[in-house]
Amino acid sequence: MTIKLISGCIGCGTCVASCPTDVLRLDPKTKKAIIKYPADCQICHLCRMYCPVDAITITPDKSIPVIVSWG
Amino acid sequence: MTSLSKDPTLLSRRHFMALAGGIAGMATLSALGVPSGWAANTAKVDVDTVNRKEHTSDVLVIGGGMAGLFATVKAHDAGSKVILVSKGRLGSSGQTPFAKGIFTYDAATAPISLDAFVDKVSRSAMGTNNPVYTRQMAEHSRARVDELRQWGFFDSPLYNTCFSKPIKERNIPVLERIVITHLIKENGHIAGAAGFSMDSEKIQIFRAKSVILCTGAGGFKPNGFPICDLTHDGTIMAYTIGAKVTGKEWNDGHPGQATNAAACFDGWHGMFERKPDTVGVEVHHDLGVDLNYIAYVNGGPVAMGPPGSGNTTSKGGPLTPAEFARPPGGPPPGGGKAPGNGGPPSGKGGGPPGMAGIPVGGSSAGMSIHKSEGLVPINDRCASNIPGLYAAGDALGSYMAGAIYTQIGSSLAGSAVQGAVAGTAAADYCKAVDFQDVSTAKLDDIHQEILAPLQRKAGYSPAWVTQTLQGIMIPNFVLYIKKEKLLQAALAYVEELRDHHMPMLRAADFHELRLAHETANMIISAEMKLKASIMRKESRCSHYRLDYPEMDTTNWQAWINIYKGADGSMQFEKQPFAAWPA
Amino acid sequence: MMHSQTNRRGLLPAILLFTGLPIFIYATGDFPRRTLLKESISLLTIIGFCMMLAQFFLTRSGNSLLLGSNMAKVIKIHKIIGYVFVCIILVHPFLIVLPRYFEAGLDPAACLITILRTYSNSGILIGIFAWCLMSILLVTAIFRKKIPLPYKTWVQFHKWLSIACMIFACWHALDLGRHTDRVLSAYIILLAFCGILLPLKNSKSPTVLQSEISRPGKGEISRDSF
Repeated sequence: MTIKLISGCIGCGTCVASCPTDVLRLDPKTKKAIIKYPADCQICHLCRMYCPVDAITITPDKSIPVIVSWG
Repeated sequence: MTSLSKDPTLLSRRHFMALAGGIAGMATLSALGVPSGWAANTAKVDVDTVNRKEHTSDVLVIGGGMAGLFATVKAHDAGSKVILVSKGRLGSSGQTPFAKGIFTYDAATAPISLDAFVDKVSRSAMGTNNPVYTRQMAEHSRARVDELRQWGFFDSPLYNTCFSKPIKERNIPVLERIVITHLIKENGHIAGAAGFSMDSEKIQIFRAKSVILCTGAGGFKPNGFPICDLTHDGTIMAYTIGAKVTGKEWNDGHPGQATNAAACFDGWHGMFERKPDTVGVEVHHDLGVDLNYIAYVNGGPVAMGPPGSGNTTSKGGPLTPAEFARPPGGPPPGGGKAPGNGGPPSGKGGGPPGMAGIPVGGSSAGMSIHKSEGLVPINDRCASNIPGLYAAGDALGSYMAGAIYTQIGSSLAGSAVQGAVAGTAAADYCKAVDFQDVSTAKLDDIHQEILAPLQRKAGYSPAWVTQTLQGIMIPNFVLYIKKEKLLQAALAYVEELRDHHMPMLRAADFHELRLAHETANMIISAEMKLKASIMRKESRCSHYRLDYPEMDTTNWQAWINIYKGADGSMQFEKQPFAAWPA
Repeated sequence: MMHSQTNRRGLLPAILLFTGLPIFIYATGDFPRRTLLKESISLLTIIGFCMMLAQFFLTRSGNSLLLGSNMAKVIKIHKIIGYVFVCIILVHPFLIVLPRYFEAGLDPAACLITILRTYSNSGILIGIFAWCLMSILLVTAIFRKKIPLPYKTWVQFHKWLSIACMIFACWHALDLGRHTDRVLSAYIILLAFCGILLPLKNSKSPTVLQSEISRPGKGEISRDSF
């Protein structure tokens, strides 16, 4: 699930800005970060590293099939 | 990009039938995270209510990485009014956030002279580098590194704060999370750019005397490399308005790791959390396609040796100049190279994927060697063939390091140096020219083109088309062990995507709108890569042809330039090494 | 002797209820585990917060049912818990960013500024408000004797300020707490309900209130010891 969980979010929006691939958005109602487009997560951890309250948990697996050239 | 905006209501009977029958199944698939192909578009945006916002500046810098930072600061310091616009956040998008090593050449302490350094890079690059840009990078690296140090670059692994420092001190406007999709040209000169903001959901028009593309390179949103936001946007926008583009046949050969191949943070073993450091002279011939060749010949999991030692494990394959060959079985280079822009300093932990555990290929698929693809420079000041349009860093095909990784950490240094050069050059250019008038009709057309995927009643999901493109371009060593037949086969598929899928990309919201434009850019880039690879009938550096395994010094002491012909078709020309375009 | 026996018997269930249960909820909950320092800070803050709620059960006007009727002891515990855990709660915004000091990434001060500048939703503002009320609560408790208020009035002030503070604090914790999942939320709501709202209901009538406050201290309790 790439970004697995956001707990303890204060809604500052830093993660939304810091995500290179626009995975996170602020929920218009709760004003807190939600994992809106998980399929586009590149698992780079910038959101987690930039979060001032360390609210983001990320796992290394991807929610969509991964294409590699050989292995 | 223009073909993105064919008739938005285009919906053939065949597609309608498929749609009616398949919609329930599609819904199930999308719930699983698997994007559906063709489906109805449930647009959540009323395109008629999307407003337009206009901005004016002398210089517009597109991209907020290392090159964009210096382009902005130096253009401002040279007297221009500057706006920086970025698809992401300053210092937190593109490859810059992940580059941890920056090359600095200090004449006083360097083990070799500047001339000797440039010569050594040229030998490793087998002539593919542009020595003018190689020298410029080394010459200016120290000054840029010193500025970065003042801004606090070396104090944190996260670059937003230190990048913001000089920008805030100068009060330069930074507009983030704006996707630029169009460059605007009038009377043969650059006139500005246009795109959309993902948060305010507006069309954004930028009028400028000069535009500097600091948009980085790109790939096919591959798994295992943090380049999924880089889709060659700058290159393709510039190509569309007539700029020349180069370097599409070269390939970054970074392997990924077999376990959780998509997890680039994990694959780089914590390197992303490390503070950056400087690197001294260390010229290699690294991360071409040699490892891919071993995997191709031997199959199965590849025992990872140091890059460059490939020839010793398998006969034939890509040629490494003897001077740069590594002893077989030797230890891997300290930490290897950083993803993208710079190699990490030796022996400080972390390291690239594949250096430990079982490697897989294609982690950076679609990306060329840094600084070897992008806009063709017409001089040493980062100018393109379109007056007023500049590019710096990975968006400029400067061949600073050649078509293979040579000096470690030079990519990040080169982005800083070229950003500064381009910023100053653009500011100088602005002093002598006026703003070009852009007609409202033209802006209206661009407005429609940008929003076209939102207006389609049905269409292909950009995520699905991207996966299809990955399926064509990533497996079977298409770009790594090149054969005419396979390249042609892949090209047939890519042309099909270009002609039949690209004009029918759908978008339900502004996130998908971004994906739609990115997907279109990747398709065009794939076409360029395949055609350039077919054209280059030799093997050299990171371009390996199984059917032409030798280096051809008679016919191929030349770069390939790509441009849009008068009829809209993709045209190719050769440009001799070490010469500027005619 | 009888009193202390009662107290000791009541102490274990009280400790279990106000620290054991939240620790159990924390330990069995599906929360991502981070570094020892971060988890220790989280646990300390959770316990501190629960102790704040426990304070309502350690008063004369509330119900000291758990610790029997040895009011001197109850009040002593109330004061110790108050001073210790109010301080922990007051520094918890700093504790949250403290681990950043040992990491290479963000600057702890910058994190704190980002936190304090987040007004897009109400969670932080409510937290800041509760923090201010709690600071006043602490200061007015420490300097009670120096405040020119009749004891009765001070008790009323202390009571109502505590209630206001904890209502906002609960709101803040339920809204932003990293560990306030359904179970911990239910626990907090239940405690707050029993500790704040029930006594509030009982003390609605001014005569009851009056009689409770003006009730002479039982032996050991002097006005000053509260």
